[in-house]
Amino acid sequence: MRGLWSFARCVWGIIRRPATGLSLGFLTLGGFAAGVVFWGGFNTALEYANTETFCVSCHEMRDNVYPELAQTVHFSNRSGVRATCADCHVPHDWTYKIARKMQASKEVWGALFGTIDTREKFLGKRRELAGHEWARLKANDSLECRNCHSAVAMDLTKQAPRAATLHSRYLLTGERTCIDCHKGIAHQLPDMTGVPPGWSDEQAVLKP
Amino acid sequence: MTLARRDLIKAQAAAIAAAAAGIPLAAEAQPVAGGRAALEIKWSKAPCRFCGTGCGVMVGVKDDHVVATHGDTQAEVNRGLNCVKGYFLSKIMYGADRLTTPLLRKRNGVYAKDGAFEPVSWDEAFDVMAAQVKRILKEKGPTGIGMFGSGQWTIWEGYAATKLMRAGFRSNNLDPNARHCMASAAFAFMRSFGMDEPMGCYDDFEQADAFVLWGSNMAEMHPILWTRITDRRLSTPDCKVAVLSTFTNRSSDLADIPIVFKPGTDLAILNYIANHIITTGRVNKDFVREHTLFLKAQTDIGYGLRPDDPREKRAAGAKDPAATTPTDFDSYAAFVADYTLEKVAALSGVEASQLHALAELYADPKRKVVSLWTMGFNQHVRGVWANQLCYNLHLLTGKISEPGNGPFSLTGQPSACGTAREVGTFAHRLPADMLVANPAHRKHTEELWGLPEGFLNPVPGYHAVQQDRMLKDGKLNFLWVQVNNNLQAAPNSANETWRGYRNPDNFIVVSDAYPTVTAKAADLILPSAMWVEKEGAYGNAERRTAFWHQLVTPPGEARSDVWQVVEFSKRFTTDEVWPVETLAAHPQYRGKTLFQVLFRNGSVDRFPLTDIESGYACDDSQRFGFYLQKGLFEEYAAFGRGHGHDLAPFDTYHQVRGLRWPVVDGKETRWRYREGLDPYVKPGQGIRFYGRPDGRAVILTAPYEPPAESPDAEYGFWLVTGRVLEHWHSGSMTMRVPELYRAFPGARVFMNPLDARRLGINQGAEVEVISRRGLIRSRIEIRGRNRMPPGVVFVPWFDASQLINQVTLDATDPISKQTDFKKCAVKIVPVVA
Amino acid sequence: MHPLLLAALVLCVTTPLHAQVLSDTPRLSGNTPPTEAVKAVPVPPMVTNDVRQMRNYPEQPPVIPHAIEGYQLTLNTNRCLSCHARQFTTGSGAPMISVTHFMDRDGQVLTDVTPRRYFCTACHVPQADAPPLVPNTFRDSLSSGGR
Repeated sequence: MRGLWSFARCVWGIIRRPATGLSLGFLTLGGFAAGVVFWGGFNTALEYANTETFCVSCHEMRDNVYPELAQTVHFSNRSGVRATCADCHVPHDWTYKIARKMQASKEVWGALFGTIDTREKFLGKRRELAGHEWARLKANDSLECRNCHSAVAMDLTKQAPRAATLHSRYLLTGERTCIDCHKGIAHQLPDMTGVPPGWSDEQAVLKP
Repeated sequence: MTLARRDLIKAQAAAIAAAAAGIPLAAEAQPVAGGRAALEIKWSKAPCRFCGTGCGVMVGVKDDHVVATHGDTQAEVNRGLNCVKGYFLSKIMYGADRLTTPLLRKRNGVYAKDGAFEPVSWDEAFDVMAAQVKRILKEKGPTGIGMFGSGQWTIWEGYAATKLMRAGFRSNNLDPNARHCMASAAFAFMRSFGMDEPMGCYDDFEQADAFVLWGSNMAEMHPILWTRITDRRLSTPDCKVAVLSTFTNRSSDLADIPIVFKPGTDLAILNYIANHIITTGRVNKDFVREHTLFLKAQTDIGYGLRPDDPREKRAAGAKDPAATTPTDFDSYAAFVADYTLEKVAALSGVEASQLHALAELYADPKRKVVSLWTMGFNQHVRGVWANQLCYNLHLLTGKISEPGNGPFSLTGQPSACGTAREVGTFAHRLPADMLVANPAHRKHTEELWGLPEGFLNPVPGYHAVQQDRMLKDGKLNFLWVQVNNNLQAAPNSANETWRGYRNPDNFIVVSDAYPTVTAKAADLILPSAMWVEKEGAYGNAERRTAFWHQLVTPPGEARSDVWQVVEFSKRFTTDEVWPVETLAAHPQYRGKTLFQVLFRNGSVDRFPLTDIESGYACDDSQRFGFYLQKGLFEEYAAFGRGHGHDLAPFDTYHQVRGLRWPVVDGKETRWRYREGLDPYVKPGQGIRFYGRPDGRAVILTAPYEPPAESPDAEYGFWLVTGRVLEHWHSGSMTMRVPELYRAFPGARVFMNPLDARRLGINQGAEVEVISRRGLIRSRIEIRGRNRMPPGVVFVPWFDASQLINQVTLDATDPISKQTDFKKCAVKIVPVVA
Repeated sequence: MHPLLLAALVLCVTTPLHAQVLSDTPRLSGNTPPTEAVKAVPVPPMVTNDVRQMRNYPEQPPVIPHAIEGYQLTLNTNRCLSCHARQFTTGSGAPMISVTHFMDRDGQVLTDVTPRRYFCTACHVPQADAPPLVPNTFRDSLSSGGR
């Protein structure tokens, strides 16, 4: 303990002491270059952590949620626009993204300690995990849905009549948000007992 | 129902009386055109035409036309429910391309194998057919002719056919398509219990605490039984459902324990569960000591392929695959000890925790468990073992033959039990579980059939797959196919079945209601009456025998299969087809037609036409002048009465919604082998498996052995074939019902989406499914009801334009000779447009 | 009935028998010869126009006039009931499930849908936008009375 403290003091001493043999130019430009490298590296790592490959490198994702996504319209559809994990689960906005990434450190913890390392454990926690995502999307007014699906850009004549009716009634009025109705569009649902559908009266009184 | 009909008759009588008396009917003022009578529909009961569940339906008839069908609320099986196929039964008979006249391949006015189909009269059809049979009998003897029937035959159709073939032509080359479907289950029942068919019944579904599906997608294939299990699961606390399959399906959607295992490894899982029961000390020792014995199976028994196949030559035990040797509990326990959780988890690809949870369902003495299976077990190169290894679990724990506890083999076809198994239309069987190869059984049959002693052929005939091989090889030259579509259903069909049918030496007759692929490959097509166009009887999976009346007239010259068989028998005399020695020793049979010997024999013809229930037609009986169906049924019933297969009197069945045999003193039997529930178990016996002389059931020692063909570098996928909910078997009926066709318009290849991505194949893209035997072209489905694991594809076989059985392998269980339609290797190649 | 369909039907019924039978509909009676592997026709799209179809007879389960792809029907959730259950029909605008669905096996009427009717797709099926492979001569009971 004592040794650690003296080591820290030593490092602090080096940092606060003015540089004597180095030019100001070297220090600023070098610092800038180092910053670019660091920032680039950070962002590259961050970007990599947003790829499907990274997500399914954990077997919890590969064996549970990913195969489910692969059977949905977000994986294969008419126009070939594919949404992958991060499109729905990671905010595009930088601040929120970093916040989400910090939250995700908990998932690393979970992976290390095997919180959901079997199918049974995963299914046991599924309601809770899904609940987090529903709450997040409810709170941000389904922001990640709206990154692609803009309400105002919807052509109601191209929708099935009942979809057009329900969207006009609930979505366009702002009465409900996407996630209220569209749960389980990319994954299997957990036990939905007590989770009312988006168009029900019970849903109206639910607060984020 | 009886009351409703009487009311109707009264109403009609009143209307007629009113009309006769000249009482004016206020035609103009009537809000209902034609009055209430115009709204009347005559409702009668019938079992559903499709699967082995045996649902009761009410059939509404108006002007000799079925106008509606719905679930029979009085039927115990389904209590008012039907699946979508059942609800559309009213349309199955009305496809516009019904066959209405016999069709014979002709050139220049005479039969020619390479001719084109031309309409002919029944007389001409039977003349040509009889001439062929006589020629072949003369050249090759009884083994040259054969018949391929079905578990969709009515009971008397199967009975008349077995009689004509065995007692008329002395040929045992009679097999039902149930061979492709239930043979493994039937053999396993005989081997474990000495008696065929389940000990329990559907009532178990309302009493069990756990259901384990072993290779059965009941949600699609037995939807109404699934409603009963769903009911139980959703309304009972702590009821569990485990579904074992090689892919995730609709049944998995109800599962607490959904298990996807590598094809063929179910054998290892079964042995692991036995090991778990033993090592955790949950063996019911009293039960095992008192009621079981241990046998060890012959191993390395091959795959039922042609004998020159290297896999057959390599198999050390292929000579006598059914052989067993006695063993004991300790040896058995030591044997299964090898099937540890870790080892089986690795082999099967199933998580250990899931296997453990599954094993606990069986091991927990407080939990009542029903095991259910269909084609996953039966269409399996080790299908008989799989069935028996499952019995092991129930026998080790004593969870058998009581309400809520038991192994239950579901059947595919509506009368797989009633006709194929009970009547004994298999190449090796006689009625009531008797065997062709058993001299005492033959003697008994000869007595009941009024035949000379020693007359019946003692050699079992060609089974289904063997028939096709023998046709191709030119050893079997005449085949009469009834109520099935074998060219679509048989394995490796392009190389075996098709070549057999088109072999110039052979004459193929197909009786069907519609022009199927099989009919079109035949030389003579006979138009058949179907379902309620004739009087019929089916026996379902829970031993329930159910009857129906003829309700409408068949179209054109279509005739029932039983009429065809019985009428055809008139074309032969004993002098033409029986051995000279037999006739010399028994001159009283000389100069008689087979019709006289087999059907106008004082037994089948003993019931007059007046016995037919009033208000119902029976065209077949009218044509022969006696109540044919009743005569055949009563003669057949004599085989089983007093031998554990007791059937009720004929007329009773027309009044009730089916009865489960044995029916003793008017009472049906729901659970067999247990005192108080089964009249054949004497007081004080407790439990007795009386099918076997020692009263004990067999616990079989058998290992995991690999499938006949597994994926490799070139053929990288497992191919599994099967059905879908909306279509029945080959689709010849359901594809002609517009709503059912539209619900599932054509076959496709269900594939894992990531496999598709890896191979660069789009959803909906055209592909070739290629095996070493053949190929088809189809479309890729990466979504939907069947969610495939990597490396496994599923193709349903209902689509005649995509004959997936050209791709499948003709490997069978070497004991039951049932084809394995669930495991062969294919590659999937995108079609470049 | 579609006029083309009717015409085909009339043709089938009136043409001589030898011309009628064994028409080439590969989906029903195979390719020619049946061992030939021919182009697999594309899977037709499903009807999703939300227009209710007339039933063939009152007892027939209505067909589904909308897409159900991806709808989950599992132990955990029932997407069908989330619209068609009595309590949700006001919000969803969907038709309420029939009263027969409240009856259990013993004929008792329950407060909600009976568990045995839980898996809707056993009886109710969506429809592809495709003409029938062959006409069906089934007659409506209302029309058959008049002849």
